[in-house]
Amino acid sequence: MTDLTASQKALGAEIAVHSAPYFPRRKKVITGRSIAVLVFLAICALFFCIPLYVVIVTSFKTMDQIREGAMFALPNIWTLEAWDHAWNSACSGTRCEGLKVGFWNSVAILIPSLILSIGLSIVTGYALALWNVKWAGTFLFILFICAFVPFQIIMFPLISMTATLKVYGSIWGVALIHAVLAMPVLTLIFRNYYKDIPQEIMSAAIMDSGSFWKIFFEIILPMSGNILIVVLILQITSVWNDYLIGVTFGGMGAQPMTVNLANLITISTGTVRYNDNMAAALLTAIPPLVIYFIVGKLFVQGITAGAIKG
Amino acid sequence: MAFRWSRWSPQLALLPAGVVTLVAFIGAILWTVYLSLTRSRRLPEYEIDWSEWGRQYQRLFNDDAWMISLQNLIVLGLGSALAIVFGFILAAMIDREKRGESLFRTVFLYPLAISLIVTGAAWRWIFNPELGAEHFIHSLGLTWVNASWLARPETAMYGVILASVWQSAGFYMALMLAGLKSINSEIWSAARLDGVGLFRLYTEIIIPMMKFTFVTCAILLSLGVIKAYDVIVAMTNGGPGQSTYVPAYFTIQALSAKGNLGFASAAAVLMLVITAIIFLPLVLLTAWQQRRAQGAMR
Amino acid sequence: MPRVSFEHITKNYGLMKVLDDLNLSIDDGDFLVLLGPSGCGKTTLLNLLAGLLDVTDGRIMIGERDVTDLDPKDRGLAMVFQSYALYPTKTVHGNLKFGLSASKLPREEIEKRIAWAAKLLQIEPLLNRKPGQLSGGQRQRVAIGRALVKNVGVFLFDEPLSNLDAKLRTEMRLEIKKLHDQLKSTIVYVTHDQIEAMTMATKIAVMNGGVIQQFGTPDEIYERPANLFVAGFIGSPAMNLRPAKLALAAGKTEAVFASGVRLDVSDYPFLAPPQDGAEIIAGLRPEHFTLAADSATAATFTVPVQYAERTGPDASAYFTFEDDVLALRVDPDAAARLTPGQSVSVSYLKGKANLFDARTGQRM
Repeated sequence: MTDLTASQKALGAEIAVHSAPYFPRRKKVITGRSIAVLVFLAICALFFCIPLYVVIVTSFKTMDQIREGAMFALPNIWTLEAWDHAWNSACSGTRCEGLKVGFWNSVAILIPSLILSIGLSIVTGYALALWNVKWAGTFLFILFICAFVPFQIIMFPLISMTATLKVYGSIWGVALIHAVLAMPVLTLIFRNYYKDIPQEIMSAAIMDSGSFWKIFFEIILPMSGNILIVVLILQITSVWNDYLIGVTFGGMGAQPMTVNLANLITISTGTVRYNDNMAAALLTAIPPLVIYFIVGKLFVQGITAGAIKG
Repeated sequence: MAFRWSRWSPQLALLPAGVVTLVAFIGAILWTVYLSLTRSRRLPEYEIDWSEWGRQYQRLFNDDAWMISLQNLIVLGLGSALAIVFGFILAAMIDREKRGESLFRTVFLYPLAISLIVTGAAWRWIFNPELGAEHFIHSLGLTWVNASWLARPETAMYGVILASVWQSAGFYMALMLAGLKSINSEIWSAARLDGVGLFRLYTEIIIPMMKFTFVTCAILLSLGVIKAYDVIVAMTNGGPGQSTYVPAYFTIQALSAKGNLGFASAAAVLMLVITAIIFLPLVLLTAWQQRRAQGAMR
Repeated sequence: MPRVSFEHITKNYGLMKVLDDLNLSIDDGDFLVLLGPSGCGKTTLLNLLAGLLDVTDGRIMIGERDVTDLDPKDRGLAMVFQSYALYPTKTVHGNLKFGLSASKLPREEIEKRIAWAAKLLQIEPLLNRKPGQLSGGQRQRVAIGRALVKNVGVFLFDEPLSNLDAKLRTEMRLEIKKLHDQLKSTIVYVTHDQIEAMTMATKIAVMNGGVIQQFGTPDEIYERPANLFVAGFIGSPAMNLRPAKLALAAGKTEAVFASGVRLDVSDYPFLAPPQDGAEIIAGLRPEHFTLAADSATAATFTVPVQYAERTGPDASAYFTFEDDVLALRVDPDAAARLTPGQSVSVSYLKGKANLFDARTGQRM
């Protein structure tokens, strides 16, 4: 990884320089201003944690305790009843089979949509960045614009098309739409990454092999480890968290977990079981949260890359 | 020139993406624009009555819900702008006070990893009129506090704004933090030597230096606001009444609940127009930069 | 039989003409160096030969084959790049092997060639390492190895030594030269370094502004530069170029400088009969001056010393002559005795002057 690691090291050095800018500061223990700043930050952090805290404690409470109205109190009796309900028997629309249906739908949507979206955009990004193709600039510009188009403007035509292809309301339909909508942004991310591969490596590969696919699989793909993980995380979280595509294209049979959850919490008939709702919300949030807490840096990298480059 | 397969394989590799772009984006946009000119109701009709082609748009501007949506769009945009301000303050503090940087970053960014439906569910529960935060605050004796914002049309949008800010402040913090870190560390030393006060340092030097970051954040925020849909569904479902309608919600509602395709298409086209208005400066800036870069290469 | 030839090559980038109707051909076994300042078109010419760029017009022949429209991999070439361009995720062995990926050879043959190249370049112990674990010199060897395994007749080098430090550069220079002698292959080598050109080349093409200024052996280029550009570009310190006027007297031709110094050029092999009073530029190599007045000299200058600098075994001295600097290669001991401001008599050796037409810049 000669040139790539070199640039990474340069980047690392830059960050290191910035993280140590106050050498003239006398080594004081802690200043008043520092304390004020830290207190302010801590209060903000508390504010950020409140919803999560409330959701967690509510999900472990009994409905009886919830009716008392002490929202911030810890559960009197810790119970997994609500979790069980949410997973196994909560109602989404007319079906009362719990969120597990949506969970497995989400998993089933996730896998093909990842393969489709990453497969499509990595090859496109590779061709645009490293090969001399016609209209590359125009195509990139169009992709750049497509990345910002509101979903509503293409929604009905896409419904029509998926209906014609007989995939509307199926796992494959939802996955396909995810791949289509993610393609512009992911292509731009891959293209920007590949643009930094030294031209001479491509020249050497063209002289050695000349084959578009052989160079891709033997040289370029092995060099794409970092960006692949970043994109993978970006795509997993955005597909998992998606509601709009799921509700529009899932029909009845392929609703992802978020749609189940939305149905559950917006239900207006009967008594509302808030503990079930919160357990369901947590169940939906756990997979991306786990990813976030394990590889948060890469997640943030992906989110910012997606936002800025897209 | 002779035919060379090697020339064509990269070009062919672009074909799938090209087809997707052409069909699913360009074609679909044109299709929707066309539909917006027709009288399509539940099913598409492809006849345009040219004497009143703007009929759906006229209806739109006579529709109270659409006007509320536009109003709410502005309210939501201005309100969510707090996320940028908040994000900048957090970033500046984290950047100055290195202690606990990674902890605070982790805390401020986690909402971003969660689905907006979950965010909405959580805030909906906190704003619950009977058992939510209001009940808790009242039980502390502060009975004059009104915290069930979502239940009242006048305040429901503020609840949505609060949830949006909570969800996205961390993101702007991350962008701002990156911007702050790219500022040369010598600036801080120089300001210290010159005896410039912290407030003046930020307002007169740091913020002007970060104007590109601010512009980026503002554009991203605007685009995010136009797309706001999930959070509305999860928190208010447009209600009470139609008080929290936004264009994205209105459009989908017009299509799925009212089954009015031509009308929904017109709303979608206007969404695109609004996006374009926000987006145009960015496109022009990028195009200009590209041209300049190409000019420099030659 | 010409091994590589460029015929009427034109290359445009957009509206800019980089090469215009360029012709060049070299023989089998030649070591051609394309030499010139950056932006002179030498790398473009190499890339055209490699097939990494397309010609706008013209024809490229390798042996009897017209390769103008062939893919790079089908041209029977191997190339060594400036940054080595090793594949970072492959081992040295994998790098060499990928070099053969277009050739569809049987596995044993591939292994045999890799072993041969590794032995030749002494990189056998490195075969299982990744490029990131190699030093600059080792990477350079691997890059050469990747070219060698292809067993082709023509090797291209694109400034391969510019990323190495001075000592390694000298070593590798020798090594490449040795390889060329051993393999008897044709080499096209791009550089802006005239030492590399002078030491390795059998033929040098000096380029500037997309035009080949002179094509010839290193000696020809050095001894008889075809024009002012080549004269000024080759040699360090550079050749002293001074305007003068020709004065033809009975049996004697002299170049007269503005200050009145007369340079005897009676024995100069003029290409065309000289005209009296013709405006010329006289080119005087620094090393053809002498501080001693005993040998046969063409002119004697009495000039004040500006400064002298010693570079170990060598020394250069700079004098003021007609408001400009006159550079001389001198003996280090002599250089030590020179003090700034001191006026010294220096002589120019007979038969060593180069004369150029002041108007056209061409050799006379």
